[in-house]
Amino acid sequence: MSAPVARGLFLGAAALTAAALVLPLWGFLMTAPQYPDESLSLRVTTSGITGDVKEIATLQKYAGIRFPDSLPELRWLRPALGGLAAILFAAGFGRGRAGRVFGVAVAVALAGFLLGSAVLVQVRLHAVGHDRDPNAPLRGVKDFTPPLVGPKKVGNFTVWSYPHAGGVALGAAGVLAAAGARRRRRRGTPAGQTAATQAEGRTWHLSA
Amino acid sequence: MRHRSSVIALVSVLGTVAVMRSVACAPARSGRAAAAEAVYVAPGEWDKYYGFLSGGQSGSVFVVGIPSGRLIREIPVFEPRAAYGYAVHENDARRQELKATGGTWGDTHHPAPSEKDGVYDGRYLWINDLANARLGRIRLDVFETDRILKIPNLQGAHGIAVVSPDTKYIVVNGEFEQPTDGMATNPAPYTSVVAFVDPEAMEVRFQVRVNGNIDIADSSKDGRYAFSTVYNLEQGKDMESMMVLDRDAVAAIDIPLAEKAVAEGKGHVRNGVPILEPDEVPGLLTLVPVPKNPHGINATPDGRYVVASGKLSPTVSIIDAKTLKILAEPEVGLGPLHTTFDDRGNAYTSLFIDSQVVKWNIEKALAGAPDYIVDRVDVHYNIGHLQAVGGETMRPAGDYLLALNKLSKDQYLPVGPDMPESQELIDISGEKMKVIASFPTPPEPHDAVFIAADVLSPKVKQVFDLGKDAVASGQEGIVRTGPRSVTVNMTMIRSAYKPETIEVREGDRITFRMTNVETIRDMTHGFALPDHDLNVALPPGYTKTIEVGAGKPGVYWFYCTNFCSALHLEMRGRLVVQPRDSKVEVADWKSASNVSGAVAGVPSTGAQP
Repeated sequence: MSAPVARGLFLGAAALTAAALVLPLWGFLMTAPQYPDESLSLRVTTSGITGDVKEIATLQKYAGIRFPDSLPELRWLRPALGGLAAILFAAGFGRGRAGRVFGVAVAVALAGFLLGSAVLVQVRLHAVGHDRDPNAPLRGVKDFTPPLVGPKKVGNFTVWSYPHAGGVALGAAGVLAAAGARRRRRRGTPAGQTAATQAEGRTWHLSA
Repeated sequence: MRHRSSVIALVSVLGTVAVMRSVACAPARSGRAAAAEAVYVAPGEWDKYYGFLSGGQSGSVFVVGIPSGRLIREIPVFEPRAAYGYAVHENDARRQELKATGGTWGDTHHPAPSEKDGVYDGRYLWINDLANARLGRIRLDVFETDRILKIPNLQGAHGIAVVSPDTKYIVVNGEFEQPTDGMATNPAPYTSVVAFVDPEAMEVRFQVRVNGNIDIADSSKDGRYAFSTVYNLEQGKDMESMMVLDRDAVAAIDIPLAEKAVAEGKGHVRNGVPILEPDEVPGLLTLVPVPKNPHGINATPDGRYVVASGKLSPTVSIIDAKTLKILAEPEVGLGPLHTTFDDRGNAYTSLFIDSQVVKWNIEKALAGAPDYIVDRVDVHYNIGHLQAVGGETMRPAGDYLLALNKLSKDQYLPVGPDMPESQELIDISGEKMKVIASFPTPPEPHDAVFIAADVLSPKVKQVFDLGKDAVASGQEGIVRTGPRSVTVNMTMIRSAYKPETIEVREGDRITFRMTNVETIRDMTHGFALPDHDLNVALPPGYTKTIEVGAGKPGVYWFYCTNFCSALHLEMRGRLVVQPRDSKVEVADWKSASNVSGAVAGVPSTGAQP
């Protein structure tokens, strides 16, 4: 009964991870009084940074901000996401004890990837706000660390940082993979468990 | 006892006065407040209408917000404007065009927006130059002059009108009559022409000869007739001889008939334009006799009538727009000049001599009803044109009317003998007209039109698309193109010019090809070069090519005139003009910039510790 569900969860996670290859992963929205109705935005995708790159590059030099114009991490991001999508896909077809172990391992790998990426992005953002040109023309812009998600006031700008479609897809993939792994573990419980507790368990998993 | 009664009497008188004062003042105060509220546009909010006011002898068009009366922009057309970099420099193509077509000034009178289905579509606005017989076209997506047309065989391009309902032609009237063969020695009576201009190609398609001074223009709403008021049918050449006849005329030119005659080759080509002679084309020209020296001519929004304003006669002539018969000539007041309309069957006529706007009901006037005059309101002073919102279209709004007054006298703070022009905004939404605001402008708006903000503002571009001639970022450089010529390919973006230093030799001609590579709105950069008669402004995305002589040897700082950024004052660069026989090499000169230290004998405030 639950095998197809677990398979579906893993395949769904694989599809979402694959989608993150082409969707924007993270977004930044910058608003300022002199940019009414035309907030500036940046989108990080696996192929680079897009959006109002030119305008932001023009602005950031006043405050000596060195927003990276290329991200070396993106070199391994594509293979990493591709690999994760592949093993999630494979995990969907796992059987028996090996399948259960593989499923858990894959879910843990994805979670580790997500956590590692978040730490890396936060380190990057910290560097953006602190590793600034000391000879920048404009004084009075204090060092800053934009949060992974949320607003931060930088000079006259409020910078909103948020997961874009790809980021949300990856988060959802993590949840689906974790749910898939859990479901496999439940399936491994001794025979004789009542349908009611199974149903209860399913309900619990779904609500998780 | 008598004493007490006199005290009571005094108290009662004072009390009555106090009550009367409060009664009298209360409505006056609330009237001011209501008027202020009606024209108040809060900071950050937009006006309801774009008002386009001709600039008269400023040679431009003023763009004013209605109802606030705030000046939003001036669009230079026939006169150079350094602040906009318009036609300023000697090599500027537009300046050369202006010089070739009559001069670097103009006298603009009648703004005429393009129409579709009888209402303004927000594409173009045409404006005349009365003095030099020119027609300018302004692109309303960028608010820039797009084309200048010199109209041949015609002097005094006064009245212009778009042929309704779909802008088939722009009609341009020649007010200053000319010898028919163009010869100054020809004693024969002078005549003039009405020109029909193709709005897209900006070419004169044909002209129709009319005797007399052809004044104001309009078209019938169905596009059949071009109407013009004509004075001086006497064809006199001085004031007295122009006033002899009791009647002058409204000229109605049958446009389809004229097109047919031109197609049949009946035009006499002069200066490349076929001119139709009315006596060779029966029915082409109908002269409707109206009281002498009429002025304004205005078709009613429903297309049924056309109203000629009497000027020297206190009447307006209501003419059937189909049969061309005069239906009525009601009296409206002294000096009627122009008429406009609301959406409720009322006409509003400016009375120059009475300094009034008179509101009258068209159907009542036609029926001879005694109460056809609805209201009168004083304006300050000597009103010329007046225009209600949409009054020239088939869908008038009936909310505001602008009175364009010729004299302001005591209306504004005195600013010396030359006073500003006065405009007054009138609320015409009710039965009674209410003057609710007054605003001055530079000289001298003659006429105005209004386009709804929600029609035009979505069509307006705020960044130019980079043209084919644009200098791309990374393509900047200085190219020596000959022994005495240098081309500078320059870009500008906050807050620097590239290249920042330009070295040339005395006697060089420098071609500046400059692109503002900004991509966000309102980021205009200027380029001013001292002692070279060069100052241009480049809106975002704009490219300009200008040639200039290197001038005397020296260092000239070019700089941004349009405050742009935190480093605006630092946005500058050097044009270094070396003597022709200088032995200093570029490399030497560059290395000199690395030499530290101050100028001997001059204390430096910036010395590092």
